[in-house]
Amino acid sequence: MSATIEIRNLNQFYGKKQALKDVNLTIEKGMFGLLGRNGAGKTTLMKVLVTLLPKSEGKVAVCGRSVEKAQEVRRITGYLPQEFSMYPNMTVYEAMDYLGVLSGLSRLQRRQRIPQLLERVNLQEDRRKKVKTLSGGMKRRLGIAQAILHDPEVLIVDEPTAGLDPEERVRFRNLLCETAEERIVILSTHIVGDIEATCENIAVLDRGEIIYKGTVPELISMAEGRVFQAEISKSELEELKRRCIVTSMLTLGNNVMVRFLAEERPFASAKSCEAGVEDAYMYLMHERGGETGCSDSYL
Amino acid sequence: MFGQLFVKECRQTAKSLIYWLIVLVMIFDFASQLGDMDIEKKPEEGQEDYGNKLSDDKNVIMEKTLGLLAEEYNRQNYTTYPIGFYKSVTVDEEEDRRIGEIIAETTGLSERTDVEKAIKDWYGARQEDTEGTGPVMTEQLALEPVEGLRYERFEQLMKEADDILGGGSSYAVPGLEGNAVVPKTYEDAVVEYENLVEKDHLTGGYARLFSDYMVIFLGILPVFLAVTRGLRDRRAGMRDLIYARKGSSASIIVSRYLAMLVMIVLPVLILSFIPLSRCLAYASAAGISADIFAFVKYIFGWLMPTVMIAAAVGMFFTEVTDTALAVLVQGAWWFVSVFMGIDSLRGGLYGWSLIPRHNTELNFAGYYENFAQLVCNRILYASAAVILVVLTVIVYHQKRKGRYRLAWKGIGRLKRQI
Repeated sequence: MSATIEIRNLNQFYGKKQALKDVNLTIEKGMFGLLGRNGAGKTTLMKVLVTLLPKSEGKVAVCGRSVEKAQEVRRITGYLPQEFSMYPNMTVYEAMDYLGVLSGLSRLQRRQRIPQLLERVNLQEDRRKKVKTLSGGMKRRLGIAQAILHDPEVLIVDEPTAGLDPEERVRFRNLLCETAEERIVILSTHIVGDIEATCENIAVLDRGEIIYKGTVPELISMAEGRVFQAEISKSELEELKRRCIVTSMLTLGNNVMVRFLAEERPFASAKSCEAGVEDAYMYLMHERGGETGCSDSYL
Repeated sequence: MFGQLFVKECRQTAKSLIYWLIVLVMIFDFASQLGDMDIEKKPEEGQEDYGNKLSDDKNVIMEKTLGLLAEEYNRQNYTTYPIGFYKSVTVDEEEDRRIGEIIAETTGLSERTDVEKAIKDWYGARQEDTEGTGPVMTEQLALEPVEGLRYERFEQLMKEADDILGGGSSYAVPGLEGNAVVPKTYEDAVVEYENLVEKDHLTGGYARLFSDYMVIFLGILPVFLAVTRGLRDRRAGMRDLIYARKGSSASIIVSRYLAMLVMIVLPVLILSFIPLSRCLAYASAAGISADIFAFVKYIFGWLMPTVMIAAAVGMFFTEVTDTALAVLVQGAWWFVSVFMGIDSLRGGLYGWSLIPRHNTELNFAGYYENFAQLVCNRILYASAAVILVVLTVIVYHQKRKGRYRLAWKGIGRLKRQI
């Protein structure tokens, strides 16, 4: 069986509304980032992959298994939805055990794997705690543990770091990277920092269409030579914001240190900077005529 | 996987508050109705009262029914129970005239004053007969039918009277026998006692009585358990985690369903040990050969189909609508069944009721003669429950694939367009 996810000409409709438009992707082993704004169609794509939504048109195969064969696909995929919890009165161990049974694991397999996984996500000490007493970060870690409980070939995580504090976010990203050593991990997010920190290959989804697919360095190269930094007065800021994409700013007394995108150096004091994923993403969205566009005079 | 899932579902049920509330209601029901249950003693000759029975003598049925009709006609007010609920009916002039004609044809009393006089005369005569020996007004008025009145014609006229009153009256043709309440004789009482001891082996009669009380609440309680279980996945935010698992929809739904049945029936079985032990103690002292498994047989044969259908209705409607609608559906059905069952407390009139009643340890004959009907009734509900569970599995399976949700939204959109 192939160890890739193949998506060919996938179209997805909700009534007359088209949620995915002619999506073509090949996803290989390792971390794969799916980036896009809220409502871009990321969750729809995730749900098609985990067989929670029937595809309208096209072909989708997960490790050689068509998504139409739901039970086969479910056997080899783990899923961490964007919004989830578990029965609040169950303990951490009980919740894992229950989901383990639903994944078809034997008692012996559960006894071996659950403590190992809880150890790995740093929840072994909390195994007797009720789910309702867990913090957001602990719940997310438990979510990852349940998703890889049956040792799936594919792990699909949808917006996993939303609402986590910075420390938990870093811990969670590391956990995902470790998990990706032995399987395909698809990380769907609108947080560019998560992708930058974890993924080599990415796709950017906008209004149901894949507008970029490739490596992170390739994406960054699209913005190279177009990222500038300058210290300007506050009165100039509004004019700059009107004319181009300001990606960050830092107030320094009466002045502001701004980072922005432009095709050419717009004024002498602007210094060229090394592009990051966020810069490239913003540039890409503008190229697509998105809401983040800059005026013609600069871009 | 199924066995382990079943055990886990049982544990989940045992940890839910709603389950223990259900158990408390069952204990309350049992304690209030059977807490101080006395075992039927052998009747002795010369006893003041041996209870009542329904007569199957057509003449008695006609007399008692006509007595009832005459009383209500004289009062110009009729009591009916359409779909089991009490209703006071007053007829218009034309309808009153027609009922008067029916009474005239069946009793020969052509004027309202004649009817009034006949009633007074009957009660007067009863008072003289029983002077100083006890209450007389409890005995039901009986009016002799006119000579030559055929039973078929009597039934035709009673049906007409029932139609005039809007149905659900004492004159509805299936059920006229219920009007013919007559006192039991010593011989009747002995036959019933012998049936209880020899044919029912004592425990059979009490198992029926136990089932009669328990079936009332078991017709509604399982729906609460099914609805809360059905909604728990969504409320807990666990639905997608479960949907995305390998486990088949059939094993998930059937394990939940069986766990519900077992957890509901378990306290019923435990409660049945109390009347069973009393019966066994009495049987041992009286030298009666008791059937030790009678309660188990009745729990699974009589009660289980009701539990099955109530739980299945709960699961099905919850899965279809994602709401607690099932409580309303089952609640309405239960309410109507309970009220309609009031007329069949003596047992033997099981019909197609969700809640078959037999509110006595006696009347083995009624049970025996209508056993086939009872079996058909129970098979019907058990089969309907199985069908609903299969439908629930289908709906659940489609929901897991996102199909049912889309279809549901599609219907909503279509309706808006229309």
